[in-house]
Formats: sequence, C-alpha cells, structure tokens
Amino acid sequence: MRANAAFTRLCRASDLLRATDDRPLSIRDAAAAAGMSPFHFIRRFRAMFGETPHQFRIRARLERAKNLLASSDRSVTDVCMEVGFTSLGSFSDQFARRVGMAPSVYRRLARAGGPERDGCAAPGCLTLMGIAFATFEKREPPVAGRLRRS
Amino acid sequence: MKIKLTSIMVDDQEKALRFYTGVFGFVKKHEIPAGEYKWLTVVSPGRDDLELSLEPNANPAAKAFQEAMFRQAIPLAAFEVDDIEAEARRLKAAGVAFTTEPTRMGPVTIAVCSDTCGNLIQLYQPT
Repeated sequence: MRANAAFTRLCRASDLLRATDDRPLSIRDAAAAAGMSPFHFIRRFRAMFGETPHQFRIRARLERAKNLLASSDRSVTDVCMEVGFTSLGSFSDQFARRVGMAPSVYRRLARAGGPERDGCAAPGCLTLMGIAFATFEKREPPVAGRLRRS
Repeated sequence: MKIKLTSIMVDDQEKALRFYTGVFGFVKKHEIPAGEYKWLTVVSPGRDDLELSLEPNANPAAKAFQEAMFRQAIPLAAFEVDDIEAEARRLKAAGVAFTTEPTRMGPVTIAVCSDTCGNLIQLYQPT
C-alpha cells in the first residue's frame, strides 16, 4: 500500500527519535526532518503514534534498556548511558515510573523468570493466555468454564 | 476447529486498551495480569464470539516485524464497518490519523488509520 508523504516523514522522524547516538536530536530537529513546524509535528506525531515525540523517545530508550538489562551483564550505569540518558537519576526515575520497579530489580526478576529467549525477557505473546489463566485459577475458586467459555 | 481468537501487537497495553475501547468502541473482555504484562482482549459491542488479544510487542522479533510493516504502510488488522464515511468522520473528530482516506476498491471501500499503538488498521465496508 502506498504511503502518503506526511506519513513517510513522520516515520523517518520516529526513526531519528529512536536512535541513540551521541548527539541527541531535539524535537525541533525532528520536526525539521519531518518538514513540519514543531507545533504541527507534535500534533501529527501524537495522532499517529499515540504519544508526544518526547514521550516516544523516552519509551524507546527504556525498552532498549529493558532488553539490555535482561540480556547483558552491563552495569545499570552503562545501560543508562548506552540508551541515551545522560543522568542515572533521570534514568532510574523514568524507569521506575514507567516500568514500576528499579532497573536492578527488573534485571533480577527478568533473569529469575527463566532462560533467556534470544535476548528477550518477554514471553511469547499468546503464551500470556496460559500464564494469566493459570495465575487466575490459583487466586480464584475454580468455576467450570468461567473463563474459557465466558 | 473454530476461529475464536486473533491478536494484534501493541506497544503499550494500557494505551491500547484506552484506544481500542475509548476510540474504536470495542468492549473489554479479559484483563488478567500475567507477570509484567496482561492477558488483555476486546470484543465487538453486542457480540463476543471473536476476541482480539492486545499483545505486548516486547519480543524484539515481533517489534521488528511490526515496525517494518508500519513503515511500509501495511495494515496488520482489518475491521468491518457499516458506514465507512461516517466512521472515518467520527474517528477523525477523535483525533485519529488516516494514511488512506475511504477509497472504493471494487466491491469494497477501504480506509487505513493508525491505532496509535504501532499498527495501521484497515477499515472496510462491503458494498
């Protein structure tokens, strides 16, 4: 399917925001790369990706950090710098706010959860059904067919 | 064998639940914690014979596939609507971004919009 030009430019800007090189891109630069004014860029970016460019960049960095924490032996500080944060305090704060735990706790839990799966700490998607229902059955008295046929 | 369940990957399950219920208008069926994530499904209003699982795209392989398809403007799911022009107007008023306006293609009219969770969704109206 042929994409329209604005869509292509927004995708290019999202790639730039995801990049974690030494020169962090400003939102103004990302807007310029998309050929839009910052105001227009933020509005259209949010409609396409569901969050502002700034929120998008933080989430992308934290996702990369989660994978590195689960699959490498690098220190939390190294991971923080690798994914593009310049302050360990800011990294830890954002991580705790969005993931719900400190980076070190995430690493411990991810590793305790089982063998690494190609560097991914997440279960296969549809396997969540089995995990969720098994957990639910342990907590709630079993009622035949309540979940499977609801 | 029956088709009772299908799935779509989403970049954030909370955001996806808000969008798929609050904007698309589906109804939450299951929301059961499963470690860091949830078993989260929605159904069409008024009928729950087919569930759509909103799956976390935390697996790097899944994420790479999803991002590549998005960048190529390829929808990963399609939902039927009764009146595609009215639906497109309603969704645009709610701030939804379209990459393809309602377009007649033979016996069907299609439009494509973003679900804000990393996917393009095709809406279609058989004519």
